Amino acid sequence: MIKKIFDWLKQPLGLIAVGIVFLAVFSAAAYGIYLTQQAPEQPVPEFPHQTHVAFGIQCLYCHPGASKGPAAGLPSQSKCWACHNQIQKTVDSAKLAPLKDAVINGESLEWIPVAIVPDFVQFNHRAHIAAGRNCEECHGDMSKVTIAENPQVMNMGWCLDCHIEAAGEDQEKLIKLSDCGTCHY
Amino acid sequence: MTTSSELNMPEIAMAEKEAGKWGMVIDQDICTGCQACVAACAMENNIAFVGEEDSGYGRAMHWIRIERFWEGEYPEVKMTNQQPMMCQQCGSAPCEPVCPAFATVHSMAESLNLQVYNRCVGTRYCANNCPYQVRAFNWRDYKRPEPLPNQLNPDVTVRRVGVMEKCTFCIQRIFKAQDQAKAEGREVMDGEFTTACAQACPASAIVFGRVDDPQSLVSQLKERSGGKTHLKELGTLPNVTYFNGG
Ligand code: HEC
Ligand code: HEC
Ligand code: HEC
Ligand code: HEC
Ligand code: HEC
Repeated sequence: MIKKIFDWLKQPLGLIAVGIVFLAVFSAAAYGIYLTQQAPEQPVPEFPHQTHVAFGIQCLYCHPGASKGPAAGLPSQSKCWACHNQIQKTVDSAKLAPLKDAVINGESLEWIPVAIVPDFVQFNHRAHIAAGRNCEECHGDMSKVTIAENPQVMNMGWCLDCHIEAAGEDQEKLIKLSDCGTCHY
Repeated sequence: MTTSSELNMPEIAMAEKEAGKWGMVIDQDICTGCQACVAACAMENNIAFVGEEDSGYGRAMHWIRIERFWEGEYPEVKMTNQQPMMCQQCGSAPCEPVCPAFATVHSMAESLNLQVYNRCVGTRYCANNCPYQVRAFNWRDYKRPEPLPNQLNPDVTVRRVGVMEKCTFCIQRIFKAQDQAKAEGREVMDGEFTTACAQACPASAIVFGRVDDPQSLVSQLKERSGGKTHLKELGTLPNVTYFNGG
């Protein structure tokens, strides 16, 4: 039985079939990987970071948690509405329709975070902002992007490289910043 | 014997020479055994509920438990004082050197025994080598029925199957208090925060704080006479001091 299958596979038609199956599996896998690399669909799909940053709105106005605690936070629609209910464009721009709908229906905008570390890592924005780190160092230049994508892999080596550099000669700081308990608990 | 320096491995802190940083004093004379600490600990640290069947196999997960002992022969049995038992955060911990994955390591910064859950592969050597038997193993992924997932503490990792866990002295609270203090440009004050078990204890039988600060409440309580540490003869240098019959 098995020999029969092999014989069939060895003839030209069989080889083509094997090739097609291989290609199908390969492209499915490639497509799967491609999907994981895509930015997720956001509630306001074309929120332009660059326009807002160019107006001189501070990062901390929309992400106020960054200087106070662990999470930077993503803005709720009431923050957007404070400006946008006074802007003419809000009435007629299609890009702003989702925001308008959310406000009218009293629903919240559920942004999907893209800059994330796994659940078993405890990151803290406050310590980094207090140490004088800029948002750009970790998130790239947000004055150039539309919808946010994560510019770099936020893995453990990335954290530790910077921590070792930040500690410099200070042995006590190095111990603290490379201690497993600082990030994992 | 091959030492770590001969293997050219980075020096990993195994033992401490002096008293640790964080410590606890437990007064068994005022402990009523009410189990409030056990409940508070489970809530704070996202400890799974294993259910009846696994509990019967001795797989119940607690980071703190209340031990009871009896003295004398029947019918003259007398119960001794209740004894809360949790990870003693040994300065020289037997669990650490036996971990083949370096998942339970000593925090030099906080002088605590750490359990790095994501590093743990579940050999359970550490639990077998713990003289206090205070480590708990996740034998399964225990489901939390709705609406229990809503009360998970976001500051603590939710552990998965095959991972060892144990009392951390509420390290998330330590870091939160330190972070708060740093933001306000001051040192952490004594009594500003405490562990979940100490906070829940209605009799204040558990006191937590800095043992390297002679002014702290816990240091002063510890200095009284009559305090003892468990299994002292093993040289584990525990950071929990018990007072019983004083
Ligand atoms: C400080 C005021 C301010 C805040 C806060 C603000 N915006 Fe804007 N937004 C503007 C201005 C001004 C424009 C540009 C309008 C124009 O081009 O005429 C704009 C433009 C936009 C546009 C592009 C509209 C288009 O058709 O080009 C979108 C989408 C948008 N904002 C969404 C949001 C969302 C979502 C929030 C909340 C997270 C928000 N904005 C918060 C002031 C603000
Ligand atoms: C008008 C409000 C606003 C301002 C100002 C603003 N952001 Fe944002 N930011 C948002 C919104 C809304 C999102 C969620 C949509 C998205 O992912 O693009 C976001 C997302 C992000 C993200 C991705 C986080 C994630 O995981 O989804 C980063 C990083 C970020 N912002 C950084 C910055 C920095 C740095 C600045 C200052 C240069 C800044 N933002 C200024 C509103 C703002
Ligand atoms: C040291 C690197 C670093 C710096 C500096 C930094 N971030 Fe982040 N940021 C991160 C990491 C890592 C995450 C993922 C956190 C997580 O998943 O818990 C993140 C997440 C975020 C998010 C996503 C959602 C959230 O609430 O956490 C936003 C928004 C954000 N950062 C904004 C900012 C802004 C604004 C600044 C500057 C004020 C800033 N970040 C500075 C590393 C950094
Ligand atoms: C761009 C450099 C940089 C990167 C990248 C970075 N850190 Fe930091 N981190 C710092 C600095 C600087 C400090 C503050 C040191 C101090 O207290 O002076 C710090 C402090 C911390 C602290 C607080 C320590 C304390 O004193 O309580 C934590 C927690 C932390 N980092 C976690 C992380 C994690 C997790 C990542 C990776 C996701 C990361 N960091 C990536 C530079 C960085
Ligand atoms: C500065 C913060 C930081 C410190 C200190 C740190 N880690 Fe990590 N660790 C991380 C981050 C962030 C990740 C997530 C990496 C990723 O997403 O790929 C991680 C991932 C890991 C993983 C991989 C888990 C997995 O399933 O992919 C292991 C294992 C690990 N850490 C062990 C340790 C041990 C052991 C120590 C102490 C020697 C330590 N870490 C110290 C930040 C840190």
